[in-house]
Amino acid sequence: MKVVVLVSAGRHPVTGRASPVPVELQAIRLARLLGAAPSGLHAGPKAEAVRDTLGHGLAGLAHLAIPDGDDPLPSLVGALTEMQPDLILAGRVGCGGEDSGQLPYLVADALGLPILSDAALLAPGEAADTLVVDQALPKGVRRRVTLRLPAILTVHPAAPTPLPFAFAQARSGRVDTRPGIAAPRPATDAEQRPYRPRPKLIAKAAAGASAADRLKAATETAAAGGRLLVDPPPDEAAREIIAHLREIGVLRGNG
Amino acid sequence: MTSSALSLAYVVLTLAVIAAVTAGRRVRLWRVGRPAAVNWLHGVMALPKRYLVDVHHVVGRDPFAARMHAFVAGGLLGGSALVLLTLVPALGGSRLYWALIAVLFAAMLIGGAMVGRRRYPQKPARLSGGRFQVLPLLLIGYATGAFLAALDAALAGTVWPLGWLGLWLAAAGGLGLVLQLDRGPMRHAFAGALHLVAHPRDGRFEGRRETALLPIDLDAPRLGTATPADFAWNRLVGFDACIQCGRCEVACPAFAAGQPLNPKRLIQDLAAAMVPGGTNANYSGSPYPNARPVAGRGGPEQPIVGAGAMIHPDTLWSCTTCRACVEECPMMIEHVDAIVSLRRFQTLELGAVPEKAAAPLAELRYADEPQGRPLKARTDFAAGLDLPLIGAKGSADILLWLGEGAYDLRYGRSLRALVRLLHLAKVDFAVLGAEERDCGDVARRLGDEATFQRLARENIATLATHSFRRILTADPHALHVLRNEYPAFGGSYEVIHHAAFLDELVAAGRLDVGALGIGVTYHDPCYLGRYNGEIDAPRRLLDRLGLSRVEMERSGKRSMCCGGGGGAPLSDIEGDRRIPDIRMAQASATGAGIVAVACPQCTAMLEGVTGNRPEVRDVAELVLDAVEAARVKPVARGVETVT
Repeated sequence: MKVVVLVSAGRHPVTGRASPVPVELQAIRLARLLGAAPSGLHAGPKAEAVRDTLGHGLAGLAHLAIPDGDDPLPSLVGALTEMQPDLILAGRVGCGGEDSGQLPYLVADALGLPILSDAALLAPGEAADTLVVDQALPKGVRRRVTLRLPAILTVHPAAPTPLPFAFAQARSGRVDTRPGIAAPRPATDAEQRPYRPRPKLIAKAAAGASAADRLKAATETAAAGGRLLVDPPPDEAAREIIAHLREIGVLRGNG
Repeated sequence: MTSSALSLAYVVLTLAVIAAVTAGRRVRLWRVGRPAAVNWLHGVMALPKRYLVDVHHVVGRDPFAARMHAFVAGGLLGGSALVLLTLVPALGGSRLYWALIAVLFAAMLIGGAMVGRRRYPQKPARLSGGRFQVLPLLLIGYATGAFLAALDAALAGTVWPLGWLGLWLAAAGGLGLVLQLDRGPMRHAFAGALHLVAHPRDGRFEGRRETALLPIDLDAPRLGTATPADFAWNRLVGFDACIQCGRCEVACPAFAAGQPLNPKRLIQDLAAAMVPGGTNANYSGSPYPNARPVAGRGGPEQPIVGAGAMIHPDTLWSCTTCRACVEECPMMIEHVDAIVSLRRFQTLELGAVPEKAAAPLAELRYADEPQGRPLKARTDFAAGLDLPLIGAKGSADILLWLGEGAYDLRYGRSLRALVRLLHLAKVDFAVLGAEERDCGDVARRLGDEATFQRLARENIATLATHSFRRILTADPHALHVLRNEYPAFGGSYEVIHHAAFLDELVAAGRLDVGALGIGVTYHDPCYLGRYNGEIDAPRRLLDRLGLSRVEMERSGKRSMCCGGGGGAPLSDIEGDRRIPDIRMAQASATGAGIVAVACPQCTAMLEGVTGNRPEVRDVAELVLDAVEAARVKPVARGVETVT
C-alpha cells in the first residue's frame, strides 16, 4: 500500500524551535503498523525543518520548495495528484504556522477524496482497497469505520506513540527537493506565535459554586451536553447551534 | 635425573605446545574486532605491576581467594616453567633444583585444595558450575602428579613407583587443563594477561580517572556496536578474560532487584557471541533474573542484541551505569563501556530506546531539557532568594551549575539551602539562568550520543562567553560530565561538588557550624564516589557538623547505587523489587535517623521509598541546620531550612 504522510514544519511549544509535530510522527507509526513504508511530503521553504521526521520511520521525504509564507495547498495537491497514493495521512492539527487544522480538508476537497478525522488505529479491511479505522471520539470513545481507499485520514493524538528517533536513519534518509507551485497569500497582520495547548471550555461553572459543583460541571455537562438531531431542516439546525453557542457562552447578546 | 622426571619435562613441553595451539584458535577470533591503538612495549613492561598491584588490589578484597590464586597460579606457572628448564642438562641433573620444583607443586596442590574447598560440598551462587566444577580435580591431579615426579627426582629415584604414577597423573590433569584453554576456566589466564597488556583504558593503571565515556564519530558508517566485529579487538580480549568469579553479579543493583541483568552472564554472552555459530548453552552460572527469552545464537558478524540473538534489549536497559561491576572486576573488564556501546547502536541506528525514554530524549533534542520545561524556569526554585545571573553580573568566582534537579520541588529545597549557605559565606557566585542547558548526561547514558554531543558543544560555547574560576554543582552527574567528558569537546573546567565546596568553606571558617549531635549515614552517589573518587570530602564535612556517622553495609567506592543513574528510571525495566528500596533497607539497618545524600537523583530515588525509614537530607540542608544551630542557642533540632 502506498502511503503518504503530510509533514509540516512544526515548532516546539516551549522553545519555538523547529521540531516535528508529534501527531504527524504518530501518523508515520500508524502507516508502519499497517506494514507500509510511508513517504513524507512537505511544502515549505526549507527541508531541514522536517528532516528529523526521517528518523521516525519515513522511508523518504519529498520536499516541494516554495517561498516562505506561501500557501502549500497547490503544491501538495499537485504532487499528490502525480503520486496517486492509496492513503494520505495528516496530523489533525499542526503546531506552529496557522495550525487551523483545515489543510487536510482542503486537500481532500481539491483531490475529491473522502476524509475521515481522528484516526487512532488502522487495520487492513477484509475487502481489497478498504481500511478499518478506529476513530477517536471524546472521552475515550472509539468508533470503528470501514473506509474505501484512496482516502485522507487525519490522525488523533490517541494513536500509538511515535517511533523513537533514530539519528542514523535521519542522517541517511533521502530528501528529494523539487520546486513547488508558488502561491503567495495576501498579507495579513495576524500575529504568529508558538503553539500552546488551548484551555478547555468549561461549561457554566456557576459563580460562587463549590469546588465539587465546578468539578461536576466540568466533568459531567460535557457528556450530557448537546442534543443529537437527525436530518433537521437547515433553519432548525441553525437555531439549535446558535442556542447552544449562547448556552456555553461563546455568543453573547441577542444577535 | 630420573627417567620419569625427564618424561615429565617432555609432557610439560607437549602440553605447552597444545596450549599454544588452543590459545591460537581463540586469538584468531579476536582478529575480527576493529583495530585499536595499543602501546605494546609499554603494556608488556607494565604487565607485572598491573598484575601484581592493580589486579591483586581487587582480588585481595577476598583474602581467601587471593591466597588461593597465588598458590595455584604461582605453583602452576612457576613449577611448569622450571620443569621445562630441566631440559637443560645442568639443571635437570640437580636434585636440589628438583626439590624446588616439588615445593612449587606442593604450593599448587594447596591452592588446588582451596579451589576445591570453595566449591565443595556447596558451590556459592556467584560461582559458575559446569567446567568450573571439574577445575579443582584437574588442578589437584596435575599438582599431585608433578609433585610426585619431582619428589622422586629430588630423592634420586628412591620412590620410583610414585614418580611414574605422578607422571601419568600430571599428564592427565595437565591435558584436562590445556583443553580448557579456549573455552573453559583456563582461558582467563592468557586472555587476562593480554587484556592487561592491551587494556583499552590503560590509564586506569596509572592512577588516572578513566570513567568518562569515549566519544564516537557521528559521521562513521555504523554508530555503536551491533555485532562482535564492531568491538575493538582488545575489548573482545577483555570479554574472554572473565573468570566468572561472580563478584560483579553480587555488586550489581539491577541483579539484586531482579531485573534481567547479570554482568557476568552479559560478558559470557558477549564472549560466546564472537564464536562462529556461537551459543549461550554452555553457560553454567546464575542466569539473568526473570530472563526474557532469547534465541541465544551468535557469530562474529551476527547481531548481539535482540530476541533472536544473544542478549535481550531489556538486559541492556536495566543497567544504571553505576560501575559497581567494573569496580569489583579483578580482570579489569569494562562492562559499562560495552553496554553503552551496544545501547548506542540501539538508539542511534535502530531508534530502539525503551518507549518511556523516547519522549525525554525528544524533549532534549528540541528543548534542551528532558521534560521540555522552559530553561528560564530552572531558577524558579529560588523564588524570594537572591540568585545572581552571570549574564547580568559579568563575572563571578564560582559558577553554580543547577542541573535538572532544580526543577524538582524536593531537590529545590536542597538547592535553596545551598544558595543560602553561599550567601552566608559571602561567596562570589552566579548562575547561568536560562542559558544553562541540560548537561547531556542522561542522553549519553541512553546511547543518544548525537544529542549529547550537541548539548556539550552548545554548553561549552555558552561557558566560553562567561568569566568564572570554578564551576560548583550539587549534581554529581553534571559534575562528571563537565569535569571528565567535556574536555573531549574542548571544554576543560575546574569543577567542584557542593559537598567538597562546603567542606572547604567550613574548614576555612567561613561558615560557623554548631554541633547537630544526631545519627547519620552517608549514601555515596556513584557518579561522585566511583566515577570521581570523592568519598572523603562528604564524610569530612558531616564529621565537622558534629554528627555521629555510621557506615552502611556498602559504602565508599563499593557503595550501592540508588537506581537513578544511566537513564534507568526512564527505561523503567520491570524487576522483582525496586533498587532504592534495597538501598534504603541498608540505610535503615544502620539505625541512623538520617540518610545524607549529595545528588538529586539519589534524593528522588530514596525519597520515593515508602514506609518507616530514615529521613533523606542533602548535605547542604544538614550544613544549613548546623549553621542555624550555631546561631540559635540552645541547639534547635529540626529547624525548618526553607525560608
